[in-house]
Amino acid sequence: MNVYVCVGSSCHLRGSYKIIELMKENIEKNHLEDKVNLAAAFCLGKCTTGVTIKVDEEVVCGVSPENFSEIFNKYVMGKVQA
Amino acid sequence: MNNLCTDIGFKSVNKKGEQLCGDHIEIVDQNENSLVLVLADGLGSGVKACILSTLTSKIISTMIANNLSVEECVSTIAATLPVCEKRGVAYSTFTIIRITNNSEAEIIQYDNPHVIMLRGGENFEYPRTSMEIGGKTIYKSKLQLEKNDVFIAMSDGAIYAGVGKALNFGWQRDSIIDFMVGNYDKKMSAKGISQLLLDECNDLYGGEPGDDTTVAAVKIRQRIPVSLMIGPPSNPGDLKKMQTLFFAKEGKHIVCGGTTSKLASEYLGKPVVPCLDYFDPEIPPIAKIEGIDLVTEGVVTMTKVLEYADSYLNGSISISDLSMKKDGASKIAHMLFEEATDISFYVGRAVNPAHQNPALPINFNVKMQLIDEVSKKLKAMGKNISVSYF
Repeated sequence: MNVYVCVGSSCHLRGSYKIIELMKENIEKNHLEDKVNLAAAFCLGKCTTGVTIKVDEEVVCGVSPENFSEIFNKYVMGKVQA
Repeated sequence: MNNLCTDIGFKSVNKKGEQLCGDHIEIVDQNENSLVLVLADGLGSGVKACILSTLTSKIISTMIANNLSVEECVSTIAATLPVCEKRGVAYSTFTIIRITNNSEAEIIQYDNPHVIMLRGGENFEYPRTSMEIGGKTIYKSKLQLEKNDVFIAMSDGAIYAGVGKALNFGWQRDSIIDFMVGNYDKKMSAKGISQLLLDECNDLYGGEPGDDTTVAAVKIRQRIPVSLMIGPPSNPGDLKKMQTLFFAKEGKHIVCGGTTSKLASEYLGKPVVPCLDYFDPEIPPIAKIEGIDLVTEGVVTMTKVLEYADSYLNGSISISDLSMKKDGASKIAHMLFEEATDISFYVGRAVNPAHQNPALPINFNVKMQLIDEVSKKLKAMGKNISVSYF
């Protein structure tokens, strides 16, 4: 599975750094290093609703530290286990 | 015109307790390829010395730039300088370095420590002929320039550094030559060279200089062009033209901005590979596109570059600080401040619809102002700048 975190200007300003850190942490915690390939993406084109991430081909907007675990469970854990 | 250019850097420290420097440097750019640099050291210290050296360097640089003879310069100065009441003389030493068409150097020296010249990193004893003008002995030299020639002019504060403190007799010109040869780095800019020597002098003085100390370095460099593209053109029809012009430029290429780099990757037919490493949480990560030297995010990174330019100009950060950092802004800063001699900006004026959100601290005017401001700072660093808008 490929997970991209947008690091374009607006997502950066909305906290891409924090989201990448959380991603790294959670991937490690759940031992998904072999299954999930985490990468950065330049602007995913959803600047007004960042932070934007892309899980394989699905774009997820509005990721924040507050809703992170919910999103991580739904899009990453859910799909990896499926 | 050849492919050489002149890079200048200078710096002074004041005698302990003085607010004004008694040394003065004046540079007159005659055209893109010719200039006159004068380093004058006024008698005494403080305000008196400051006035003497400022007058001397202003007069000489203006006269020499207008092709008047040294004899006339000297007699004008002798007639103009106010006579010191205490000592009964009007006096300021001077060193003149004149570069013509980036191919010939003329050095005229009066009573300052002789200019040190490094060629290929080694001391080069250039020929000097002496002449008497109004009872003063003046040394003249003329030579053809080669790539990486370095000229180091200094006031006598440099050779007295450490007298009675770290060294008994101060630092002789020979020891300075050894020091500069030992620390020679082909890549070092003129600013880096002058800073290196001045810091060493200041250290020898134990941070309490016994005299005003000034070092000026002139380095003959090969021109290194760097082109930077930021933003897509306001008219999408101009994209091809903008990209063709940008990539046709020789030298290094920097692309800033998400959309801009996507378009560049399409033009080159190579993918954008963003890096995940946030070396500095404040600066978005860089990306890689084969065929482009550096790919970064746009506005946030450039804002940081401007900040670095300010700090670099006021001396609070040095090139070595920048070269150790790996974030996009430091990388751009290093390429523009240190490596480049000629910088071309290709600025696209498209409005990013995604940025038209009042919640975002990015707006179009900020972007245009940024490039203006950065260009100004780069000019202050002695770079040749051209900006094209699309």
